[in-house]
Amino acid sequence: MNAVLTSAAVDTTMAPDAWIDLIAIILILGGALLCLTAAIGVLRFRDVATRLHAATKPQVLGLILICLAIAVSLRSWETVAFLVPIVLMQLATAPLSAHMVGRQAYRNGSLDERSLLVDELAESRQTPPAAGG
Amino acid sequence: MSVLLIVVYVIFAVAALLTLWRIVVGPSILDRAVASDVLLTELMCVLGAEMAINHHTRTLPVLLMIAAVGVFGSISIARFVARRDTTEQ
Repeated sequence: MNAVLTSAAVDTTMAPDAWIDLIAIILILGGALLCLTAAIGVLRFRDVATRLHAATKPQVLGLILICLAIAVSLRSWETVAFLVPIVLMQLATAPLSAHMVGRQAYRNGSLDERSLLVDELAESRQTPPAAGG
Repeated sequence: MSVLLIVVYVIFAVAALLTLWRIVVGPSILDRAVASDVLLTELMCVLGAEMAINHHTRTLPVLLMIAAVGVFGSISIARFVARRDTTEQ
């Protein structure tokens, strides 16, 4: 791929394969940038909920971009048939884990209380089952 | 164009290092759970990117398994954390 791409960079009459590889690289770059923004967000934000907000971006969109890059780069229906369940599974499980972590962060009080404008669960914290035990 | 590849590699490496730093320092265990989730997602992205760059499909089953099983890590951590434990922050 490197040889194809370096030759493609100099002349404008690129082969179609080189263009497709370029598109794949750009999609990978998008996924990598989403990973980087998630890492910066996880590092810079101040409590669990805001970090969770940053963390869920590459889990769905970044993985979709990478899977698109794989599909574009390999161009076979078998690969696409393998990639679709990967994306669907990630779409199903990413909110699940985010919900569990966010709920537990609320319950054990590691959220920054002052940053909440409305706390609709404030009463239910006094009563079971959210009150814990 | 290989410059673009190097840029991709550097971005992945920096992202993984920043996430690792949050896992090391992250004040509560939930922060570490979130950060390790991000690290797992970055692992998936790196495996996928490597497949797309080198034109092979050998690690597709790994990707599928991580997508299927990776959720259990943070769920079990979230269930394990004590509810009123505010001393961790």
